[in-house]
Amino acid sequence: MASRTSKTDAKDWSGPRLDHAEHAACLAARRAQVDPGEPPRNEGTRRTASKRALLKAIEESGGNW
Amino acid sequence: MTSPYRPEFEAALSLLAQVSEAMRARGFTRPVLVGGAAAEYYTGSLLATGDFDLCSPAQPELEEEMQRHGFIKPSGPGMSTRGWIHPELRLGFEIVADVPMDGNVDRDHILLVENFDGDLTFAIIAVEDLIADRMGQYASGTARDRLDQARLLLRLNPDVDKVYLDRRIREESSGDYGVSDIED
Repeated sequence: MASRTSKTDAKDWSGPRLDHAEHAACLAARRAQVDPGEPPRNEGTRRTASKRALLKAIEESGGNW
Repeated sequence: MTSPYRPEFEAALSLLAQVSEAMRARGFTRPVLVGGAAAEYYTGSLLATGDFDLCSPAQPELEEEMQRHGFIKPSGPGMSTRGWIHPELRLGFEIVADVPMDGNVDRDHILLVENFDGDLTFAIIAVEDLIADRMGQYASGTARDRLDQARLLLRLNPDVDKVYLDRRIREESSGDYGVSDIED
């Protein structure tokens, strides 16, 4: 994972920060080193009625997530 | 640099960052990305999600900004949802709570992702809390697949704070599990 920093130039954020490009590069490198196997599927057993309706709406809009 | 992310996921992150900036400009806290989309972020899209779960204590204002950025409320039979969809990008956002994980996440463990798509930013739950959330769901017996998700998240993010991670897993699983249960 990319390093977390606490830059002092933060104007409104006092917590930790993560550089996106650095994080993405670390992830890409890690994925090349580690065989992730078959990505685990989300069984969807915990979806609320609201969530199921939202996913249905996304699907009907043509989304293919 | 070759991005590990799906293009449509990056487009969704960009939209989240724009909405977040609008909230910040209005003096509200940024929404916090949690759930499956956070898992997709920390796995470089190896875990793919269907929508974005957000936490925000300013739900009406966040929904205003989402509408300004093109989101609409789904309507029609079977469409009773708290979520919003973006018809052009064909994705969904849902505000699931005021704060992540019932307030068990310390504000100091919410990260600001910087330098996304230029100088945009967005807030995201820490990977340690996300793993603990997966283990809590696994421990509940309702989502056995979450154990594999937790293991994958740790394998791809090995530099986690393991002391904090172990504590959070134990809190979320009522003491049933710890970090040793997901290490290789």
